[in-house]
Amino acid sequence: MQTEWLALLPLIILAAGGSVIFGIGAFWHQVPTALLFGLAVFTCLASGGTALLFPNVASNLSGLLAMDAYSSFYTVLFTIITLITLLLSYQYARQRAFAGDEFLGIILFASAGMVLIAASCHWLFFFLGLEMVSISLYVLIAIRRGDGPGIEAALKYFVMGAVASAFVVFGIAMLYGATGTLVIMKSLDLAGHPDNRFLLLFGLSLILVGLCFKISLVPFHLWTPDVYQGAPAPITAFLATGTKVALLSMFVRLALYGGDGAGALFAPALWTMASLTMVVGNITALAQTRVKRLLAYSSIAQMGYMMMALLAFKHTGVAAVIFYSVVYAFMDLGAFGTVGLLSPKESDRDVIADYQGLGYAQPGKAALLTLCLFSLAGLPATAGFIGKFMLFRAALEANLVGLALIGILTAIISLYFYLNIVVVLYMRPAEKKPTSAITGNEASLACFLIALIIFWLGLFPSSILSLIEKIVA
Amino acid sequence: MIVSYGEILLLAICLFFMGMICVVTRRNLLMILIGVEIMLNAAGIAFVGAALRWHSLDGQAFVLFLMAVAASEVAVGLALIVYAHRHSGTLNGDGYNLMKG
Repeated sequence: MQTEWLALLPLIILAAGGSVIFGIGAFWHQVPTALLFGLAVFTCLASGGTALLFPNVASNLSGLLAMDAYSSFYTVLFTIITLITLLLSYQYARQRAFAGDEFLGIILFASAGMVLIAASCHWLFFFLGLEMVSISLYVLIAIRRGDGPGIEAALKYFVMGAVASAFVVFGIAMLYGATGTLVIMKSLDLAGHPDNRFLLLFGLSLILVGLCFKISLVPFHLWTPDVYQGAPAPITAFLATGTKVALLSMFVRLALYGGDGAGALFAPALWTMASLTMVVGNITALAQTRVKRLLAYSSIAQMGYMMMALLAFKHTGVAAVIFYSVVYAFMDLGAFGTVGLLSPKESDRDVIADYQGLGYAQPGKAALLTLCLFSLAGLPATAGFIGKFMLFRAALEANLVGLALIGILTAIISLYFYLNIVVVLYMRPAEKKPTSAITGNEASLACFLIALIIFWLGLFPSSILSLIEKIVA
Repeated sequence: MIVSYGEILLLAICLFFMGMICVVTRRNLLMILIGVEIMLNAAGIAFVGAALRWHSLDGQAFVLFLMAVAASEVAVGLALIVYAHRHSGTLNGDGYNLMKG
């Protein structure tokens, strides 16, 4: 009993923190934002801290949640992502007048949902986590009042997300009807069974379609650029990193549990989607004139690389996917975060031409943006290089030569659009003095953390790699 | 059981696809929301049918959670639609096309 409470503590802290912030906001109308912000930061630190202090305490809570080393790892990662999002968005939200209790509380609930996804070994909890994240994000995207693109993005994300959730839950219902169990591992074990084969495959494909919508694999990616463009930049950072990493943790779990039986049946479909995602994501990004749209297509392409390595789950693929999803989280947090920090108050700085000469006007933030773009492109000495190297090595070891070839070619093409932004930042002087809103010390701390992590993962990846090897063993 | 699992399944699948067709063909945001609700409730029916088939309570427990989730999703969705309608004065999904590329 004692250990079970201990194991659930990170989740309880996050949910309680969110509720306390909502409660304070309900009863204390003129509450200072700094206090709420401090509470939210403290909640993240406490939750991540307990996950760090007590990993691996209870591996299976009545078959519903697995609070093992795997989910502790992800809990720490999600709390760091949430923490950096909070730091990045504090001044941004204050200047644009949405830094109330709703904003901070909902972010904490979304982060609790992500932890729930990573820890779930029962379809019910997976579904609840998924919905906690999705419903929170519908609100967060539209949180800036009177912002046309934000409303439109929220509507699009809502319609797509709700349909995807309906697919997932109907798929779970089919799977339950075919196997009689809602425990993920057992239901996947029964996938090779000849009884109810049709029902089972139907259910699994519906779940897969829903999940592919959420991590935006081609051909289910059409919502992504609009939503990423319309949402406020720090929220886009949270949306692009948190949800995707959470769902990738689920994909890894599915591959580990059912990769041999059910996974083999879906390998051709996943192969096609991974190759299409890499090609379409990178080629479409070439034609973009807006930074957030470009980064959206880039994040689509990154999902393609990870899906490629996931197909090599029998070899080193799983470790490569987990490592790269950590790297990806910080690269995209940095990229979207700096877009937010470089933006004037009225609307986000979006057109690439507007970044002209910003490298000299805002040297620190522009340098971080450059670092993140280099890392996304996979240039050496950054984390992105090691991550991509591991992904492609895993694919080659698993004899996915065609897929790896497509990946390497598209990665070379992607250099053009990443470096194009860097050229605009540094090579031409600004025509008029660019105005950016004041960003504050919290954002500087977040930038410093992101830069530190990207260099650390790029130069000394072995420490975290050995940890990842341990948790998937 | 008077009604077999196969029949319940057929009903659920029909409802699910009807809801999907509603989402895909309708352009009115409210109708899209209704379509999503039909899809979710189709899943609920399938869960109850499967719970009866396997004589286990898991499916029925899932339906309770599903109803709560669907209610909160509708609450947020309706709020969004009202907010969007106030801002731009249209319920037509095609009217929201600020972003392209």
